[in-house]
Order: sequence, then C-alpha cells, then structure tokens
Amino acid sequence: MSTPSRVVVVGAGLAGLTAANRLADNGVEVTVLEARYRVGGRLHGIEVAPGRWVDAGAAYLGDRHTALVDLLADLGLKALPTDMEGDSRFLLGASDATRSGRFPPLNAVALGEMFELLDDLTRSVDVAAPWRTPDAPRLDHLTAAEWAESNLTHPDARLFFPLFLGEMMAADPAAVSMLHVAFYLRSGGGIRYLNAFEGGAQDRRVAGGAHQVCELLAAGLSGVHLGEAVTAIRDSGAGVTVATATATYDADAVIVALPPLLASTIDIRPRPTPRATGVTGRGCAVKLHLVYPEPLWRRHGLSGWSVNEAGPLLSTVDDSPHEGGAGVLTGFVTGAEAHRFATLSYDDQRAAAIHQAQLVFPDLPEPLAFHVTDWVNEEYSRGCYAALFGPGDWLALGPHLTRPHGRVHWAGTETSPAFFGLMEGAIRSGHRAADEVLHTTHPTGDRDE
Amino acid sequence: MSIPTTDRISTCLIANITASITATFRRVLEIDDVGTDDEFFALGGDSLLATRVLSAIAREYGVELTFDEFVLAATPAALGRLVARPVAGARP
Repeated sequence: MSTPSRVVVVGAGLAGLTAANRLADNGVEVTVLEARYRVGGRLHGIEVAPGRWVDAGAAYLGDRHTALVDLLADLGLKALPTDMEGDSRFLLGASDATRSGRFPPLNAVALGEMFELLDDLTRSVDVAAPWRTPDAPRLDHLTAAEWAESNLTHPDARLFFPLFLGEMMAADPAAVSMLHVAFYLRSGGGIRYLNAFEGGAQDRRVAGGAHQVCELLAAGLSGVHLGEAVTAIRDSGAGVTVATATATYDADAVIVALPPLLASTIDIRPRPTPRATGVTGRGCAVKLHLVYPEPLWRRHGLSGWSVNEAGPLLSTVDDSPHEGGAGVLTGFVTGAEAHRFATLSYDDQRAAAIHQAQLVFPDLPEPLAFHVTDWVNEEYSRGCYAALFGPGDWLALGPHLTRPHGRVHWAGTETSPAFFGLMEGAIRSGHRAADEVLHTTHPTGDRDE
Repeated sequence: MSIPTTDRISTCLIANITASITATFRRVLEIDDVGTDDEFFALGGDSLLATRVLSAIAREYGVELTFDEFVLAATPAALGRLVARPVAGARP
C-alpha cells in the first residue's frame, strides 16, 4: 500500500488547477491534461483594449468565498468593488423605467411573496445531500416552470421568475428541477446573498480578470499539457492509464475535474455510475461585451444595470475596467433565450444586441468592438455557469457525484455542496479531491484489493 | 382619560402592528437586535428583503404598500403607522 506518487488531473479549469497545486505542494508528480489550447475552463479573459481585460466567464466574488479570497491573496491578485453608481434601467412589459437601485418597477408585494416562497424552499434543502431533503422526490420531479405555474399567481411574479433564474443560475425554468433551484440558491448562500452585488456574491471582481487566477496556478506547475483531450481512462486496479488522442499517461490516481456533461464523454472502465442523464442541462449563458471608448451611460446618470423582459440582453451590467481606457457593457443572454440567440449568425447577434443596447441606453453609438462568448455550445465546457440538473437528476446523480470510483476521483464546481456553480465551489472541490487522493491508500502492483 | 377612545384603539393597534413588523424584520434580516425605530437598510436590508417584508405585511394586514412607500418609512414604527391607517380607518 502507498499514497499516490503520480496523479493525472483532467481539465485545467479552476478546480483541476487547484487540485493539481495542492498535490504538487505535497510532493506528488502531477500531470494536467487540458483539451483547449488555454487554461481556465469557464474562467476566460478577453482583452477589450490594450492591457484592459474583461471576464467572458466567471467574474464575481464576495466575502463568503473564503477559499477564493485566500487564493487571490496567495497569488497577489486584487479584487475591486463592482461599482454601481447611478440609476438602473428597466424595460419590463409595457413599461420603460429609470430608477435608483436594482429593484424593478414591478409589484413589490408579489415579488416579495415569490421570494418568501423561494426562501422557505431554499431553507428546507439538505445542502450536503439534496436527495435527502424532505419532499425531495416531489421537488426533484417538478420543473421550476411547473412550480411557478402553481405557486405564482401575480403576473409580475410570473414575469420576473424566469429573469431571476436566468440571472442567478442561467437556467430555463422549463428544463431545471425545483430541487436543483432550491439547492443552488441555498448552496450559494441563500437568495439574498446570491442576488446581491454589494455585500453579496457579486461584491467584487478580480482586477485585470479572473482568468489570471488559472494562469498563475498553471504557471506554478510543470506538467500542464494543452490541446490534449482525454478520451479514455482505464483503472487496472493497480493503477490508471489515461489516454488522449496522442499519448497515454500512467498514474496512481486520476482526478476528473470536468463538468458532468463533459466527464460523461470520457470512456472510463470499469464504468462509473453515470454523471449526467438525458435531462441534465447545460448552463444557458451567452455573455456579450459591447466595448465603447468610455462608460457613456454614466454621462446620463445611469449605472449600466438594466433588466429587460425581451432578449437578447435580459440584463446588462457595467464591467468597465477600473483603470479606465474602455467602457464595457456586459450583456447576459440566459435561459431559453440563450439557446435561441446561439443559433443566430454573428452579424445577427451583433445587430440584435446593439439595437437593444440603444433602446435601453440613450445616445449609444456603435460599439468599438463586440464580443460573443457562447458557453452553451462550448465543446469543452458544455454550458455555464454550471450544469443544470433536470427532473429526477438529484435523486439519480446526487449520491454518486463526489464518491470516488476506484482510482478515479471527481472535482469541478458541480461536485461542491457549497457554492455550487461558482468559482468558490470549484476551488473547494479541488481541495477536497486532492485531499481525498492524498489520504487514500491504494494497493500497489496487485489487482486484488 | 383625555385621550379619545378611537385614538387609544389606534395607539394600541399601531403598537401591535409595529411589534409584528419588528418580528418580520428580525426574520428576514436574520438578526435578533431590531428596535422599532431601526432603519431597515441601515440594518443591512436590501430591496429583495424589503419585498419580503411587504409581502408579510400584505399577508397579515391585507395592506399592500409599494416599494417606494417602504423606502420612505423603513422602520417598524413608521411602517406600523402606515399600515394602521387604513386598518383603523376601515373600522366602523
């Protein structure tokens, strides 16, 4: 018996790189295999102007994201507050409103009733084992759309619910289970924390872009291989062999740090319990960046925050670099709208986004640049922010999500009960998987356990 | 004895409603230390939580306040007075 001396990590996203660093720090020889020709996974930066970066993927953090806060400090990265001065814009129903704060001009009592119901449900979830939640079988087989149909009576609540789920978890209510919604909201710290900018999960963003976290983590490792998609893993009982199109790697253990839908594409033998089902959905987010010479909306006393009933820009936020040099309006296309938008040509996407931005914000010229990041169809992510568990998924998949399969261990934000779907969840899962590997003794040179 | 009866009723009513709204503040803010003159947003409340207070008030008293009314009267005491007005007025 021995603790592993060689480990392969599949996926150079935040979870995989966190695990790899912890293993390397403990003297393990680590090889990280990454399908893309970049590290970072769902953390990705776009240089919108010379030396000015924006987050095309994960972007925000708050005080409760303690592992990420610590990691940023270790790496010497700074987090800066998400400024939101000025009025918000709302194009909801027939109304076109400009008002202070982020509260939409909808019936407050109706929205409050919806939040009270969601809060009750969220509190009922067993976050460590959602499938053991009282009422789990019913909630897991109920879609969020069905829940809304029978629980939300006021038209304003029915209008806002899909927008809220889109913002919170990039979900189409028709395709996600209500147990998953309740779990996700609970895992993220509750509806209030997850929704809030100041004092909440969107309190700060990483100066210069969150992608630097992964770049710096990778820079500290010697064995990161880009452009090598893992196709197969064989566990002989005495060790694992990890195969890509061009090479094979032998190791004592492997950590698969991929979203569940992507992990399912690897041919693993012996076969593990499925990591996804036919109804496991891709996080439905397309992120748009409209780049201007400066944040022009601020001249009109506007913050850049908007919520819109019609797509593609269901919400917008000012993501201009703190150092100046560019004005960046980030648009979120989420839920069912993301699927529709993703089918358009780039020219049609650009035209639709610019047209809507001009409806929402006054005197907005053509942007200097327009960037589309379609996470739904990213081959090596298959959705963002995170996998969306469909009806029945938590009962079927939940109990096996983190359980090691022989020498195969699992990481990724979807394997973290805390802050599932967020950068914080990815880091915590990486720590957990690395510790699991470090503290597991496998038999050596013998197939028998 | 100089206070007219209807005023005594409404004073009592306001005190009860204020106490109940204070309890609602405690529940949605998840803090124990809430006084009747404490301002909701100063206690850490935000617009999302404010709607939950408005929903609780509507459930208990049948009074639907708007978000803007809440912002201008964001203490249990001020909300109590606001809620008691139509409730008291509705009495014969």
